[in-house]
Amino acid sequence: MGQRTTVAIALGLAIGLAGSSTHAQNRPASNPRDGDPAAIREGLSIFRARCADCHGLDAKGVRGPDLTRLWESGASEARLFQTIRSGVPGSEMPAAVASDDDIWAVLAYLHTLNATAGTEPLAGNADSGAKIFQAKCAGCHRVHGYGGVLGPDLSLIASRRSRTALARKIRNASSYVAAGYEPVTLVTRDGRRIRGAKKNEDAFSIQIMDTRERIQGYPRAALREVIAEKRSLMPDFVPDTLSDRDLDDLLAYLGTLRAPAVTRR
Amino acid sequence: MPNLHFSNATWRAAMLAAMLAVCTRAQPRATPSITYRDLLDGLKNPSRWLTYSGDYTGRQHSPLTQLTPLNVKGLAPQWTFQTDMPVAGRGFETHSLLLDGVLYVTGINDHAWALDAYTGRPIWHYRRELPPKLTYCCGPVNRGFGILGDRLFKVTLDAHLIALDRRTGAVMFDVPMADYRQGYAATLAPLVVKDKVIVGVAGGEFPTRCFLDAYDATTGERVWRFYTVPAPGEPGSESWPSQDVMTRGGGSIWVTGSYDPELNLIYYGTGNPNPDFYGDDRKGDNLYTDTLLAVDADTGKLKWHYQFTPHDTHDWDSTQVPVLADVTLGGQRRKVVMLANRNGFLYSLDRATGKLLLAKPFSKAATVWAKEIGADGRPVVINESGTADACLGDQRGSTNFMPPSYDPALNLFFVNTRETCAVYVPIKPAPGSIKPGERLMGGALQRYGDPYGAIRALDASTGERKWEFRYTTYSMAGVLSTASGLVFTGDSEGNFIALDSKTGKSLWHYQMGGPIWGAAPTTYMLGGRQWVLAPSGTTLVAFALPGAAQ
Repeated sequence: MGQRTTVAIALGLAIGLAGSSTHAQNRPASNPRDGDPAAIREGLSIFRARCADCHGLDAKGVRGPDLTRLWESGASEARLFQTIRSGVPGSEMPAAVASDDDIWAVLAYLHTLNATAGTEPLAGNADSGAKIFQAKCAGCHRVHGYGGVLGPDLSLIASRRSRTALARKIRNASSYVAAGYEPVTLVTRDGRRIRGAKKNEDAFSIQIMDTRERIQGYPRAALREVIAEKRSLMPDFVPDTLSDRDLDDLLAYLGTLRAPAVTRR
Repeated sequence: MPNLHFSNATWRAAMLAAMLAVCTRAQPRATPSITYRDLLDGLKNPSRWLTYSGDYTGRQHSPLTQLTPLNVKGLAPQWTFQTDMPVAGRGFETHSLLLDGVLYVTGINDHAWALDAYTGRPIWHYRRELPPKLTYCCGPVNRGFGILGDRLFKVTLDAHLIALDRRTGAVMFDVPMADYRQGYAATLAPLVVKDKVIVGVAGGEFPTRCFLDAYDATTGERVWRFYTVPAPGEPGSESWPSQDVMTRGGGSIWVTGSYDPELNLIYYGTGNPNPDFYGDDRKGDNLYTDTLLAVDADTGKLKWHYQFTPHDTHDWDSTQVPVLADVTLGGQRRKVVMLANRNGFLYSLDRATGKLLLAKPFSKAATVWAKEIGADGRPVVINESGTADACLGDQRGSTNFMPPSYDPALNLFFVNTRETCAVYVPIKPAPGSIKPGERLMGGALQRYGDPYGAIRALDASTGERKWEFRYTTYSMAGVLSTASGLVFTGDSEGNFIALDSKTGKSLWHYQMGGPIWGAAPTTYMLGGRQWVLAPSGTTLVAFALPGAAQ
């Protein structure tokens, strides 16, 4: 390759990189398509095709967080844009390859949902709910460094699930099970049964966290049976075990959980 | 917000109740929490690998004997773990930890995984959100975890120390060690000693003042810091011409050290002074750069030091793994720390006092640079910069950070050696060019000849070479030896190789598809079989004998 060609390519790369960097730096702090009816229609369409699988058709959260309370929780539009663009480390949320315009359109659509949110009842005593959580939930769920790890960490649950979705989950735990927590029972060749949450699997092996919080892989050849359980590892907290009032208190407490488990110092 | 500060006892009681609720039959035992006692035991439990070198001695030597010179030719890959993050020239430099059938692996760009050790299938995956404009010098690599309790400890490219929950990969604390924008990064595997996590920072190619730190394993609070370049008025400051130069003196720490529990001393090698190649503005020995530090593990106080390359102008970091052993020297049994240095000499020092006991060149290039290491412990330099006719080893040195190994039964020290040929051209930094966060080398190299490499077996009592196995180019692979008489290493052409440790004869090799660079293989027992795990490029490959006991 001649020297001139090399220089030309290098210059092209430099311009390309500089261009993308400038583009990122010039990104608006607020949504330039906010309130635009065309953008809202586009956003609805993109959301249903690309986001609803995890966030639900109503955006109230299924595998992914509730997106109807983002503005209420104080998130900036620039930050929301960056989250969609880069994905969320340690979660299933991938980095988006969509155009900037498309991402702004999705946010324009979500903003319309957020405008009508915030009408959920706020009944319950959070202090009392904290005690209920400690007694009934902390064995499997962790909040800010304390609790078990068999179930999901709930330190940020208030910004990820609506009160309605949480109430449904508590009363009927098997109505939805988060990815990575699917219940499974392994039956070994000598008849031992090992119950846990599935973390990964393929045609030849399965990896779980068992109910003692032991993470471990098992070759299928060493198992007599792998039973995909229909019932969640989490029990249903029906009114006999959790009164309506206690449920309100618990939901009030869960509604306070908006801080990351660990703050980067 | 309500107070939810549960005590550990409270939530453990709640957890026990929850377990009873979901346990219908007897479950397997829980994975034990790792204690300091477990770390002291090193490789006594053959199904564990709990610290960078396998144990505190830094020997990278396994007591396992199922694989032998007779059967190693049957070694076959059992699985390959592959990341989807290609980085030109640099990949896994990690030593994976093994506990209870699970491997804990760090990768490039601060990714990390828990892998099923039988299949290589991921159980969890950690990914760090890194800021732009990082200042690491030499690839976005990481060399591994430390472990204590149920926590894994890892440093990051933006110079933080983090703790992850071993069971989930969730972050338990995240503390900054230094400001990455100033030129600091971190890549080494933490060394856990008692209740402390020992770490250091990279950054010697930038105008930085580096350090060795200890952090409380529970809280993440810093317990002590030892600056590798002293403050004005402190011992060692007389080896620098001015305060201004000291504040950007370098002395990075980017490879895991060793620990002697009896002496309660930790041993760490330090990196080059800054700028790397231009020394006229930093006249003096430039302590404690290119130095072995012996530091009290509890207090961080310096017990002794030994500088290998005073006033270095070659970028010859002394960040090699210090190897602790009992060796006969001059007819006397001595407790030594050995270090095969980037300057080409194998050193043996009394590890209680730092007294030099042996210094012997292990590369041809070393003999061009220095006639010998004098009685005063200083090199007798005969050629500082090299010429076309008498060239020196290049800036990557006669060896580098890739771990050597030491077989105590054979008293042999195995080190991958680089034979290169270079002339150093120092260039005075332009006025105003020395800025925080700006890379500063202060010169360049002119290379000559055809470099090559070889793994060499050195008699630890004399430094004499017993055998070598040559590669066509130099190797940057670490070394693992076993009590059954095997040496595992690799080359830059991608060959993973088993040698007879008595003779250096090649017994087996496997093409990995990428250079084996920086890390050493590890070995352990799993399901009745001895496994060997080797990193190469962005893959990890686990080997074992097919058909051995399950």
